[in-house]
Amino acid sequence: MKNHFHKLASLLIIATLSITSCTSDDRDDPIAVQPPSGNYTDGIFILNEGGFGYSNASISFFGETGDVYNSIYTEVNGVNLGDTAQSMGFNGDNAYLVVNNSSTIEVVNRYTFEYIATVSDMIVNPRYIEFSNNKGYITNWGDPNDVNDDFVAVLNLDTNLIEATIPVAEGPEKILLNNDKLYITHKGGYGYGNTVSVIDVASQSLANTISVADVPDGMVIDNGYLYVICSGKASWTGDETLAKLFKINLSDINDVTALTFSAGQHPSHLEFENGTLYYTMDNAVYSLDSNGFQLPETPSFSTAADGVEILYGFEVHEGAIYIADAKDYVSNGEAFIYNLNGDLQNQFSVQIIPNAFYFNNL
Amino acid sequence: MRYFVYTILFCIGFCSMLHSQTDSITALREVRLISYRLKDSTYTRNVIVVKDSVLKQNQASLTNFLNFNSTVYFKENGLGMVSSPSFRGTTASQTSVLWNGININSQTTGQTDFNTINTRGYNKIEIKPGGSSVADGSGAIGGSINLVNELGFNKGFHNELFANYGEFNTYGIDYQTNYSSKKFSMLLGIARNASDNNYPYPETDRININGQYHNTNVSFAATSKLNSNNTLKVFANIYDGRRNFSVPTPNALKTKYTDFNTRSLIEWESHFSAFKSNLKVASTTEEYRYFGNINNDFYTYGKVTSFIAKYGLDYVLSNKMLLTAGLNYTHNDGRGSNIASETRNLSAALVSFKHVLSEKFLYELGLRQETNEQYGNPLLYSAGFSAQLTDVYQLKVNTSKNFRIPTYNDLYWQGVGNTDLKPETSYQGEISNNFNFKNLSISLTGYYNYVENLLRWIPDNSGIFRPENTNKVEIYGLESVVTLQKSFGNHKLTGSATFAYTVSENKETGKQLIYVPFYKFTSSVGYNYKRISAYYQYLNNDEVFTTTDHATEHILDSYMVANLGAEYTLSKKRNYKLGAQILNFWNESYESVLNRPMPGRNFNFYLHLKF
Repeated sequence: MKNHFHKLASLLIIATLSITSCTSDDRDDPIAVQPPSGNYTDGIFILNEGGFGYSNASISFFGETGDVYNSIYTEVNGVNLGDTAQSMGFNGDNAYLVVNNSSTIEVVNRYTFEYIATVSDMIVNPRYIEFSNNKGYITNWGDPNDVNDDFVAVLNLDTNLIEATIPVAEGPEKILLNNDKLYITHKGGYGYGNTVSVIDVASQSLANTISVADVPDGMVIDNGYLYVICSGKASWTGDETLAKLFKINLSDINDVTALTFSAGQHPSHLEFENGTLYYTMDNAVYSLDSNGFQLPETPSFSTAADGVEILYGFEVHEGAIYIADAKDYVSNGEAFIYNLNGDLQNQFSVQIIPNAFYFNNL
Repeated sequence: MRYFVYTILFCIGFCSMLHSQTDSITALREVRLISYRLKDSTYTRNVIVVKDSVLKQNQASLTNFLNFNSTVYFKENGLGMVSSPSFRGTTASQTSVLWNGININSQTTGQTDFNTINTRGYNKIEIKPGGSSVADGSGAIGGSINLVNELGFNKGFHNELFANYGEFNTYGIDYQTNYSSKKFSMLLGIARNASDNNYPYPETDRININGQYHNTNVSFAATSKLNSNNTLKVFANIYDGRRNFSVPTPNALKTKYTDFNTRSLIEWESHFSAFKSNLKVASTTEEYRYFGNINNDFYTYGKVTSFIAKYGLDYVLSNKMLLTAGLNYTHNDGRGSNIASETRNLSAALVSFKHVLSEKFLYELGLRQETNEQYGNPLLYSAGFSAQLTDVYQLKVNTSKNFRIPTYNDLYWQGVGNTDLKPETSYQGEISNNFNFKNLSISLTGYYNYVENLLRWIPDNSGIFRPENTNKVEIYGLESVVTLQKSFGNHKLTGSATFAYTVSENKETGKQLIYVPFYKFTSSVGYNYKRISAYYQYLNNDEVFTTTDHATEHILDSYMVANLGAEYTLSKKRNYKLGAQILNFWNESYESVLNRPMPGRNFNFYLHLKF
């Protein structure tokens, strides 16, 4: 018995002391293969926002050859992009990555993806970016629980420093430039907005506020008209409201046409190409002529049959419809490419919660 | 062989300090069966009981203690931050935490954040793997953890002070005073823990920003033997904690979280002829506040007040049989930023029978009928036997049906809560093989657990998360606990190890649940010579999936962490003790949650006085 004991005791001690660091890093992570040229000139960036709080935002690149490269920011720069990538914008040779929960804008070269700078001062919960005259304009929620601290940050593109802030209503979201004016939808942050702010670029001040319906989501401008799709408040808010699609004459903002959706319908996303407006609802794609401006009764096509679980990102570009599927939010998402007739052309796996497509020189 | 052991200890650099008599680090498994002093606990499954002296050698949080001393796996959002368990492969709300037998899981989330339990407030912790809903009610599916204030008699007046200080301005002070006479006993304890928690992230140039925390726990217990037949006990506990949540990225908005929990309990035990009656009446409050911006007074909150009554009547038949009948009643009254004021009443009747057939064979049966129509009145059961087959070998077999009711958030969250949810149901069985030698005990348990109607928040096709009864989960595994102790001359050696192999599979997808490792291994050895002792703790967690598709690029690596400590006992009466610890001895760079680095090697000192 005594011998047994000593053997066992010794074994236990040896096992305990000797198993020290033969654990982590045993498994080689599959290194995301990158284009041999290190060149991201012609292709599509897919922004994967990642799980909120998990700092696993990433960018995938879909090259002209049809190859998909994942985590390009990390592979090129050796650091993670950050927490919850919201959007991206191009200006000159640079790409600006708006990282929401990190409260940073990461500036990279849009062709090599090499890191240039991080903008963090005076950025709080940034959402979208637009450019005018060597300045970037970034919508910020500030503290999402504070309805009075929302602003647009003005970024000097030479110094990569914020040089001014323009206070705006709660929850500024998408931002578009047209004729030296910036149009900003107020989706509402943690609340629910129902306006579009108009900012005069020259004076960097609020010029006008356009009333729309609840939760303005997508926005496009064509030929002097601003189109805004408002999702309305969903039923779970306890105060469900109707969704609307607005057409606003920018030369006379009182000239407004609004189409009203049926009760219970909550569309989102708005895209424009060749005189046609596109939006999505319940994983289906709808389209309407921007001149005729009548809501379609039936979808152009549905994506559910192709396996789309949550239609989270949506773009129409050069005759193709791009859809990002967020799946269950805790697995790798998928990208789907359709032609305008709704025929599936391509489908590939990306990373966690893909939310948008950005086209580099395409 | 003995020399070899010494050599090993010498290698780790503590040979010159080996003297003295101290308590072992080893978690000793309770193997005794007191034949007819049967309590409402179960005898056909294993229970790990850990006493005060062992608790002191661990860090104060319940997370840290269980991580190094049990098969429970933890997912910790950075040191001291939100921490949730997976016990036998189950979800975070399927581990029930009891305070002196009263369930204290949050009614809003169904879980206990194990970093909001300060182990210094308790002098005994019982770890019970496996379902025990018949005794412990809703939530006891993976296992339960009972925090106990144990009182002794006839020990007079004595005081204890424990203080520790370590890197990152981490400190703890724990003062306890006890008084006991022949018929009366009381204890009062105050414990405070705090840390700046601004540790550097290993292998990076970042530090943990906004991770500071402090908490205070006050515990009180008193018992009085009113007469030879009646005993009255009173327990109370207050926990007041504040944590800043460390930011995931350096420029993110800083947040903070406060907890304020109170618990009180009156227990009346009474014996008369063959009957023994036990009445427990408890009241608990729990309140959290979450500040989404540390610089703003705005917060969201949840607050639940509960009233719990438990009555049990034991009837002893011929010293060999015990029949128990009981009634449980729980009233919850909750409200919060996202929950309108809601009350809930739950009641249950239970009956159990334990029969000691011979010194070597015992069986027990238990039934519990829930009687609240909202959840379909489940009838729960447990049945098992224990057999001492040889001098060293004991077999235990147990099967049970367990449940967990939906939480306040599941039911009443504004807009998305669903009052039609069904409870989770779990059917399980286990076989334990216990081998007890003079200096060594080994237990090896195999179990199977089938969970239906798993409650999860999943996104609908517009991306809104809602609570639903979703998948079936099949869980099976093996767990083993080994303890040994041996004295030779002035030398005393103790050791313990736990091992768990867990498969927890979503039956719909055939995939292992996220954040459930296949393997977990812990071990500890303690060595003591006269006034000096040294101990070494080791933890090894297997890799975990962080995405439901098991994408390899998102797998969180396995890791090992080890702590090394030594103590020296001072003064003639041997009532002063000085200790030092090296935490994360091998300076492992690891994460328990994706992109939430844990500290590298750090130092900690402590002083333990008894007077």
